Amino acid sequence: MNGAYNWDFSVVWEYQDMLARAAVLTLGVAAGTIACGVVFGLLLAMLRLSRLRTLAAVVMMVIEVLRAVPPVVLVVWIYYCMPILTGWSLNAVQTSIMALALYSGAFYAEIFRAGIQSVSRGHLEAAYACGMTRFRTMTRITAPLAFQSVLPPFISQCVLVVKNTSLASFIAVPEIVYQGQRLSIQTFRPLEILTSIAVIFIALIIPLTLLANLAEARIRRKYYA
Amino acid sequence: MDVPAKPLLTIRGLEKSFGPLKVLKGIDLAVRRGEVVGLIGASGSGKSTLLRCINLLEAPSAGEIRLDGQRVGFREDGSRRLRDAEVSAQRRRMAMVFQQFNLWPHKTALENVVEAPVVMNRLGREAARALGLRMLEKVGMTAKADTYPSRLSGGQQQRVGIARALALEPDLLLFDEPTSALDPELVDEVLRVMKALASEGTTMIVVTHEMGFAHEVCDQVVLLADGEIVDQGSARHIFETTGNPRTRAFLERYRRSGQAQAAADAGGNVA
Repeated sequence: MNGAYNWDFSVVWEYQDMLARAAVLTLGVAAGTIACGVVFGLLLAMLRLSRLRTLAAVVMMVIEVLRAVPPVVLVVWIYYCMPILTGWSLNAVQTSIMALALYSGAFYAEIFRAGIQSVSRGHLEAAYACGMTRFRTMTRITAPLAFQSVLPPFISQCVLVVKNTSLASFIAVPEIVYQGQRLSIQTFRPLEILTSIAVIFIALIIPLTLLANLAEARIRRKYYA
Repeated sequence: MDVPAKPLLTIRGLEKSFGPLKVLKGIDLAVRRGEVVGLIGASGSGKSTLLRCINLLEAPSAGEIRLDGQRVGFREDGSRRLRDAEVSAQRRRMAMVFQQFNLWPHKTALENVVEAPVVMNRLGREAARALGLRMLEKVGMTAKADTYPSRLSGGQQQRVGIARALALEPDLLLFDEPTSALDPELVDEVLRVMKALASEGTTMIVVTHEMGFAHEVCDQVVLLADGEIVDQGSARHIFETTGNPRTRAFLERYRRSGQAQAAADAGGNVA
């Protein structure tokens, strides 16, 4: 059965410029999504930990709803429904970044919240007792310690963001999955094209996880050996 | 005759409750500048809570605390709590040393010591290093300035903790059972540093189970039981001349448990 299909990767070579451009766009959407998602997630995490219980409860609901909705639905809603409801419209790339940032922001928020709550009471009390304000304690003590403890789940979420960029294909963003689908139809070589796309994703993601593993090992060696 | 100095710290009618549980039931205490005050008492007597109320790590339920005449945590008339920045400024005048050291693991010994002065007083890099090294020298830790806490022994960590408190140049040092988390052989190095500070005239309030230290070093010893002061006076009064039956009972229990512990340690060594 293996022999029944003749693999021909020359088609990938032929369209390498197009795929390279698509890969760059994928990276751009991923970078934009991670940047906006992290900021949004930080904001949600702070509000979620607010002493105002009603506010915290509302933010928790927002997080739960965002986590429950399929991200592709968010993409389509923002692209088609937001202009109808608000009169504002975004282009396809902006829409993708916004929708995926909202979605991933809810996950980042929970990761950051867990990190902030993992910082020991004693370390915070030491900062307060040294006369550091709440804001300074947050930036100098809580944030770095929290980040150390959430680095692995944080990187996992970033990996998911890179993969979720493929959902932008639903609104015709010419990122790599969209272009791959177009090429598959055009060239009748879906197996070669999809395999190549997988290789490109692996090439984008593995360095990210390797870097994270290195950082984690370095943190452990430097501070906790 | 000496005119009695105005107290540096005055506590009046201090109460603290956690839900229905009343942990402090009206504490009155005055601490003069240069004085070393020992707070002793059984576990759960409220001594750590009292210490934590002084620098507002716990919010008092009633009563007032004054540092150098200034109301701690509240406006003069008690009408409103002070803002975060104002409370922080007051806390810098009464630094604290913790039972579990609480050094920040992502900062070296030196960075731990100078963190608050750098962040809150905007101390420059060179000045900060000089200050940090001077404080570490006081506790004999200069050689470990660039070491992270995870590579220091408990006693070393506590000495850095003391240097961190000293770096704020506070009016008052609060010690919350500074040797309780240490292995017995590491207790002395910390007590030596504390004795040196006491002999320099540092004002200190020390929650301690080290009766030898309290007897030898403290100018005033306060015995707490069930959230109340049951006896207070000079170390000589508490440890030698008091007629208070609760003080005698406490010290007797302490002596017996100490002997039992010593016997257990000796037994352990033989085994």
